Amino acid sequence: MQDQQSNPGNSGPVVSEFADDPDMLELVEMFVDELPQRVQSLQSSFESQMMDELLRLSHQLKGACGGYGFPSLSEAAAELEGLLKSGAGDPGQIEAAMNELVDLCRRASPGPGQGD
Amino acid sequence: MAEVASTILVIDDSVDIHRLLKIRLRDQNVAISSSSSGQDGIERARELLPDLILLDIDMPGMSGFEVLAELKHDPLTVEIPVIFLSGSGGSTNKVKGFDLGAVDFVTKPFDIAELRARVRSALRTRKLVKMLAQRAQVDGLTGLWNRTHLDEQLVCQVSQARRHDTPLALIMSDVDKFKNLNDTHGHPFGDQVLQEVANILVEETRDSDISCRYGGEEFAVILPMTSLADAVTVAERCRQTLEAYVWASHDDLCVTASFGVTDLGTAEEPTAASVIKSADAALYAAKHGGRNRVVRADEEHSTRGDCSSSGGGGAASESPAQPHHGSSSAA
Repeated sequence: MQDQQSNPGNSGPVVSEFADDPDMLELVEMFVDELPQRVQSLQSSFESQMMDELLRLSHQLKGACGGYGFPSLSEAAAELEGLLKSGAGDPGQIEAAMNELVDLCRRASPGPGQGD
Repeated sequence: MAEVASTILVIDDSVDIHRLLKIRLRDQNVAISSSSSGQDGIERARELLPDLILLDIDMPGMSGFEVLAELKHDPLTVEIPVIFLSGSGGSTNKVKGFDLGAVDFVTKPFDIAELRARVRSALRTRKLVKMLAQRAQVDGLTGLWNRTHLDEQLVCQVSQARRHDTPLALIMSDVDKFKNLNDTHGHPFGDQVLQEVANILVEETRDSDISCRYGGEEFAVILPMTSLADAVTVAERCRQTLEAYVWASHDDLCVTASFGVTDLGTAEEPTAASVIKSADAALYAAKHGGRNRVVRADEEHSTRGDCSSSGGGGAASESPAQPHHGSSSAA
């Protein structure tokens, strides 16, 4: 399900679709710079069982990641949001979905600097 | 750029989207403001009166649908076009959005070219609608706003004055013995009189005042942020200017008008209808008090009482009235 179009393997950087859009570069960089902070918020909300906060964060990431050229992150965020919203997911599923999103956030990159 | 920038208000709970739209639309000659919640967005919309609102459907707290319903409920914001920003393009959402009055949808993540095209299209339509609406609200003879515009504006101004607790005054005016003028000197001269009265009203009021031809030979001026006393001064100035005006084709003729002045506090109820009724009653008192005068709505009863014995206007003398001054205004 989580195959990255232009990113072979499951560990390489996830590059923004707008990597070669000069208009967007600065904005995408700023967004990526702020991702670690968001990851931390996601994890601490989960650890302290603040599910409403987790829902809010995943909702915002869903919208934002798409806009900044990271559709795979957006999908992962939507997945997590869906689980939280429906109340159908058990804690294990929620954690797995969150980890998936966290992993992708950590790999997000504004441009093809290091990968191939 | 020669054209004035259009203003766009973005209402979306995600600051990332605000930034994104600012960058994506920066070459479109638009000024963008943003708001992060539905409630705040509604307030910003009322303050800014933007040309276009981009509204997120899915927001915590107040949803985009609720925001749109409220915007469409308020006469101040009802005409502002709204484009929905939605994550999932489900058709039930779209139907609901269009039914509530949205003009368009853009799905996230944005296709940039499409977003720009939809924004341009909405702004273009907005401009045309504004222009047509404006033309439909201008009086052809005098170039003043017409009654439709006055009625609409008064509702808006009353609601704004109440919201911000600011004063609001209304002047109603009627040219004295206009029928006689028309019968004696011909309709072209009558038209000329109406045009000159319109000029005087525009010149003697501020740009922020709204001068209208209310019908026939009747005029009205909405004066936002103006006290009753100040509006009386304005009306008195108009009265004197018209009275002193020398008509090129009839230099011995003195054309006059009567004025009724009221404000939001004097009207029986704080509604547009009641404000008009109050100004109308004052104008009626001015007519029956002998014409060519300014009557304040809060003194209307005494004025009318004083003059009621002289009967209606039917038997009034032929010659134009000598300068009378309204009971309240010092010479």
